[in-house]
Amino acid sequence: MNVPAVAEAEPTALAVTGPKAALPAVAATEVRVPPARVPEISASGVPVSEVIADAADGERSIVAFLCRECAYSAADAAGNARTPLPPTIRTIMVPCTGRVSPLHLLAALAEGADGVYVAGCLEGQCHYRVGNFHALDRVAFVRSLLESVGVEPERAAMFTMSAADTPRFVATARGMDATISRLPRLPRS
Amino acid sequence: MPLSARGRQIAGDLRGATSGVSAGVLGCEVVRHEELCVGCGRCVSACPTGAMRQDDWFDPAQLFSAPAGTGRGALAAALRRIARHEPSGPFRVPDRVRTFRGILFSPDLCAGCGACVRACPTGAVEAFPVPVGEVEEGPRALAPAGARP
Repeated sequence: MNVPAVAEAEPTALAVTGPKAALPAVAATEVRVPPARVPEISASGVPVSEVIADAADGERSIVAFLCRECAYSAADAAGNARTPLPPTIRTIMVPCTGRVSPLHLLAALAEGADGVYVAGCLEGQCHYRVGNFHALDRVAFVRSLLESVGVEPERAAMFTMSAADTPRFVATARGMDATISRLPRLPRS
Repeated sequence: MPLSARGRQIAGDLRGATSGVSAGVLGCEVVRHEELCVGCGRCVSACPTGAMRQDDWFDPAQLFSAPAGTGRGALAAALRRIARHEPSGPFRVPDRVRTFRGILFSPDLCAGCGACVRACPTGAVEAFPVPVGEVEEGPRALAPAGARP
């Protein structure tokens, strides 16, 4: 019984959307703004707000965006070696540090992180050739942006290391933790 | 930007007009709406005369006036939550950051071709026909639609 109804409805639908249908009138003042794709910041599907939600009251949290090819391997090796790391560090793996946009860093800060840093390959050793150079400039941009609104630029940082350089990963994580713990809490409205 | 066949025909009908770059003779007046600009730079790539170019500086105040739903709007929303005061003046943008830059428009260089208007995804660049009185010896071709005989 449904079949004839669909067959009858179809020509009507076609007539509405067909090429001969009049274009909708657009007012001269109307402005067409395409919806921007806001990158969803997540670690293995977990939003960044949940990544840092387990921080105890008064404890700082630092979000680290780690390149899969180098810094993440270094972090993995540090974990396998049971090297104690500051409890403030939350790691998010990215395929390349070139994936990290200024919005990732600022959104992490806005969602509750006290500091963010990006760790990528040594300069000239990016597996995607220039990803870490892009990340360097974006972090510099975010630092300028933070400075312009009165937030300490040290809250965003970029480090480079090789995949085998576990000591450097541990040193940067501890250094970042020390830097952030010296800063006052970030005000959030 | 090379003129289309129709464009050459119109240019041929105009006394004193050329099909090349001739500011003010043929085309439109370009007006930018800074608050709608998302900084994508498509107008810069489209501009044949270099009248549109990207600045080396960026004013963070421009972020805060960006429409919600755009990348700049999202960045402004995040920045507003942690800001301690209103953004201070413009700062120099690193080389590889391309979308967070001001766009500079030089009317002197503009040929009025309208390529930037067609390239703009947000309608931040608008073009108005040059009124007939401002075109030297130009016939009705450039008059507003309502004024045509």
